Amino acid sequence: MRFLDQFEEWVIAALMGAATLLIFVAVVHRYASGIPWPAFQDWLLTVNLSWAQELCIYMFIWMAKFGAAYGVRTGIHVGVDVLVERLPERIARKTTLFGLLCGALFTGVVGTFGAKFVWEMAHTEQVSPDLGMPMWIVFLAIPSGSYLMCLRFLQVAWSFLHTGKLPHYDQARVEGIEPGPQAAPLPRGSA
Amino acid sequence: MDSAVLFGLLVALMLTGMPISIALGLTVLTFIFTMTHVPLESVALKLFTGIERFEIMAIPFFILAGNFLTHGGVARKMIDFATSMVGHWHGGLALAGILACAMFALVCGSSVATVVAIGSIVLPEMVRHGYPMRFGAGVITVAGSLGILMLPSIPKVIYAIATNTSIGALFVAGLVPGIMLTAMLGGVTWYVAKKNDYPRMARSSWGQRWKAFRESVWGLMLVVIIIGGIYSGIFTATEAAAMSAVYAFFVSVFVYKALPLKGVRKVLLSSANMSAMLLYIITNAALFSFILTDENIPHALADWILSKDLGRVGFLLVSNLALLIAGNFMDPSSIILIMAPILHPAAMAFGINSVHLGILIDVNMEVGLCHPPVGLNLYVASGISRMGITELTIAVLPWLVTMLVFLVIVTYWPELSLWLPHALGML
Repeated sequence: MRFLDQFEEWVIAALMGAATLLIFVAVVHRYASGIPWPAFQDWLLTVNLSWAQELCIYMFIWMAKFGAAYGVRTGIHVGVDVLVERLPERIARKTTLFGLLCGALFTGVVGTFGAKFVWEMAHTEQVSPDLGMPMWIVFLAIPSGSYLMCLRFLQVAWSFLHTGKLPHYDQARVEGIEPGPQAAPLPRGSA
Repeated sequence: MDSAVLFGLLVALMLTGMPISIALGLTVLTFIFTMTHVPLESVALKLFTGIERFEIMAIPFFILAGNFLTHGGVARKMIDFATSMVGHWHGGLALAGILACAMFALVCGSSVATVVAIGSIVLPEMVRHGYPMRFGAGVITVAGSLGILMLPSIPKVIYAIATNTSIGALFVAGLVPGIMLTAMLGGVTWYVAKKNDYPRMARSSWGQRWKAFRESVWGLMLVVIIIGGIYSGIFTATEAAAMSAVYAFFVSVFVYKALPLKGVRKVLLSSANMSAMLLYIITNAALFSFILTDENIPHALADWILSKDLGRVGFLLVSNLALLIAGNFMDPSSIILIMAPILHPAAMAFGINSVHLGILIDVNMEVGLCHPPVGLNLYVASGISRMGITELTIAVLPWLVTMLVFLVIVTYWPELSLWLPHALGML
């Protein structure tokens, strides 16, 4: 399980970084190849990056599907908790559990649809327009991401049932700056 | 009838506290299983094609750029520059905080990131100079919401996707209203500070101001990249977002050296976490609006609204009220994804400009971010200032009321938003 956790984090962070770099390189390339540098321009023109946009979309879809599963673990998927907080404890617990199981149900159903869909697509010759990648590989993000998310919902429901605790996403902390009365350093140069 | 079932089910599921994305998805599944003949395979396909658009990818890029900016020392330099300009007036540091929020908002598309970036530096400093925490936290909570009004903004991208409006025009349209809101918040702050005789800073010389400006110029350059790039057609909005993420990375790590290379992985991970959550809501909302359109509900609702003889003024009033009420339950992205496809066709029938409606929704979202029970700005500011939510809610009031006045102005004065995009030929 620890391995799966780390793998998940590593994959989505890497996809995020790689997609950003990819688009950056593609834009720079588009304009750099317009500059008449001798020899260099010829080389740049031989490099074709027209597939960058498509690859970026696919990378982000994979990131979104796996990131959504990671998000269940970090508790970032927020809901409307105004009513639940006002319910008596026992009913609130049941309602929360119901919500988590609905999450598992939805992702499980979608994963199964997705798997069927990918299975059918694997028997066709469909490829993506720019990259020429088989579409079933691209679409594999839906079943794998959804099933992983389903697993995460069950995990969270299980630990909620035993400890009564939900993962809580703390916006101020995750944004990275230590909140609280830290003495702000004076601007560089003036100290 | 169908629409009543659909929305009733959605509300019932949402009230159990399950994630909004799951509630949207389950509503669609239930509806498909019981009431229509939409093939089930199309659901799986839609989950993929729902976000298979390059414009949507501006969202992760802007989140990443915002996270780099928050960690990267850019806010610090902007605050120094703002303080050198307005610090000597009544309530100087608070005014500088507002101005810094406005500058940060020019380059950042998230209001929470703005509160964190500016607030975590300005608030301790204000307390050190003898301002009450209540005052500072109130100012920054509301001023931070400029983050989604000025230029780039994630809610604007989501609105653009939901309604097929030009992202560039929406970005630019927020600038003039943003400057106006900055001035209004500043005015109230100045008045409160003068009345209570809050401390003023020493006046800076023009030499110091120039130096502070030069140091903050690295961050402000991003405005040129984003708006210059989109406006001149050098790149699309998504590419501009990617460029600004790379630029923000470069400035944070190599110019201001506030973010060590080791920290980059954490920034990437937290950006991916946030982006994936938003993309997941967008996917399921796309599914939901696919069903809505398939059942022809948005147009039926638009006809129904038109038949009520509200007139333009009445329609705008009702829209504002509906959006403000929704702001008590949901986060901006979910509200826009659910409400925009419904309000948009009716607004078009009333001859309301799509960009104007976008800015109006945006300002409504700003209000929702600053009051309980779900206002994220409030929670973040409470985390930084260690103030309770109830206390902070009271502290925020003077500026929140200002914002409501501003909302009325934005609603009934469309030229305020539309003038600049018109002048630039973006509409």
